[in-house]
Amino acid sequence: MDSDADSFAVELVWADGRSETLTVAPDEVILDVAAASDVALPYGCRFGACATCTGKVVHGSVSHVKPPRGLKESALDEGYALLCVATPTTDCRVRVGHEIQAAVVGTPWK
Amino acid sequence: MSTDEPSSSTEHHGHEHHEVEGPGYPTPAAMRTESEREKTAFVMAPRVGMQNDGHDLVGVVDVDPDSETYSEIIDTVEMPNKGDELHHFGWNACSSSCHAEGLARQYLVVPGQRSSRIHVIDAEDPRNPEMVKVIEPEEVFEHDLSAPHTVHCVPGGKIVISMLGDAEGELPGGFLQLDQDDFSIDGHWEADRGAMEMNYDYWYQPRHDVLISSEWAAPNTYYPGFDLDDVEAGKYGDSIHVWEWEDREHVQTLEFGEQGHIPLEVRMSHNPEETQGYVGAALSSNVIRFWEADDGSWDWEVVIDEDAREHEDWDMPVPPLITDLLLSLDDQYLFFANWLHGDVRMYDVSDSANPRLVDQVWAGGLFGDRQSIQGEPIRGSPQMLQLSRDGKRLYWTTSLFSSWDNQFFPDIAEEGSLMLKADVYPDEGRMELDEEFLVDFGDAPGGPARAHEIRWPGGDCTSDVWR
Repeated sequence: MDSDADSFAVELVWADGRSETLTVAPDEVILDVAAASDVALPYGCRFGACATCTGKVVHGSVSHVKPPRGLKESALDEGYALLCVATPTTDCRVRVGHEIQAAVVGTPWK
Repeated sequence: MSTDEPSSSTEHHGHEHHEVEGPGYPTPAAMRTESEREKTAFVMAPRVGMQNDGHDLVGVVDVDPDSETYSEIIDTVEMPNKGDELHHFGWNACSSSCHAEGLARQYLVVPGQRSSRIHVIDAEDPRNPEMVKVIEPEEVFEHDLSAPHTVHCVPGGKIVISMLGDAEGELPGGFLQLDQDDFSIDGHWEADRGAMEMNYDYWYQPRHDVLISSEWAAPNTYYPGFDLDDVEAGKYGDSIHVWEWEDREHVQTLEFGEQGHIPLEVRMSHNPEETQGYVGAALSSNVIRFWEADDGSWDWEVVIDEDAREHEDWDMPVPPLITDLLLSLDDQYLFFANWLHGDVRMYDVSDSANPRLVDQVWAGGLFGDRQSIQGEPIRGSPQMLQLSRDGKRLYWTTSLFSSWDNQFFPDIAEEGSLMLKADVYPDEGRMELDEEFLVDFGDAPGGPARAHEIRWPGGDCTSDVWR
């Protein structure tokens, strides 16, 4: 993979241990780069409202290029991010998969 | 008129005294008695938020018991993009345009709830539907609307879609109007939105100059999943709205408060002389009747009040969650689904203000004794309902909405949801689960899918309106 001083390495990690690393330029959002690389991530609205694409940043940091309306402040504070409008600001590792979104909102189950 | 053969095209019209002209039936009774039994069904099958995500599809299900492929998915139309979340859909024309010359019930208008993309599918051959047009989200956002939901064709050559949010996924929503000829966007249907902020489902009665709309929440509230904090913060709906149909103006809000949290599906009587209907308040789990009073204003009362129930695995009593309801074409029976509890109920509403419970089928959910059918675990619970035109077969699917499924019935995300059926005996006021019928969308071509709204070629009791 070409190294680009302005780009960041984003490691996507699934619950089953699988991982993929993307090279994301500063003007790119993580979901678009994943799609262009044939890496399947869940998504819906693509404008930060629906949170289907929620991932959890466990290392490094991202910023949102549009307001992440589908996430509450508390979720943002815990490191959740909307990958359809998120761009990395450092190299980072992000937990991904369809089940992350449900974990953010929680369930009434004990 | 056969309803499962390719629909009569415009060339059949123009016979001066043709028995059935236009795309529908002159009365609800004509549809109930003169249409044939449904042979295929169109079923929305979203894959948003699935473990192995893929493109959403429209499935064609064989519901003809004499067919070798009975209860199988016999054809699919895959959406060109991922992430749409197909949900509700409707026809380009229905019985509301019954005598419209040159108009045929031929096209399905299929919105993506999350993507705001709107698809038009040519369903002239009900066994081989084809995508003919896609309206991209950007064209919808230009009108500061998003999250398309209910599609009705309306007299005057138009199609009106309830829209739940603005272009940012926030409030207010509104209504988007398309042209029936080329499916181009006209703009907003409403001339004056008045006090309406939230939107969801709607029904209309042109004879009485009225449209009634309901409320879910802002897309950025309900899209991510169900959070009780949002209910406490007042972010979910508790009202329905009365509009003047001709003037397209909001004229009255019926605020239910605690008794009507999250009023979803709106069903008015099919008899065009009637001025009343029902709405299911999902979270409060009440069925609310609304009607036009003598002075022309609208009033409401709770006519069915269900109780939450303790469950050992839950922190709070579990509400039944009435997520869908429908009226038989003769307006004699009301059916609704309790998506969390796991039952479908059948009420006699011949005395419309005093519904009488006559039967109930349990299948899946948190309290259903029956948790499998044909050896297959019932993932999810009764949800989106569709009744045969003759009122003798009730079908349902078990998925609600991707993010809510993933909270409450997460198995659907891995193995898909189901379509089930009960045989209904209207003369005896009862129904029975048909254990021979099962469509497992876990086996959908291309991988497991959810299953949501169901429609018949030829129209049904949740699409057609009479003038």
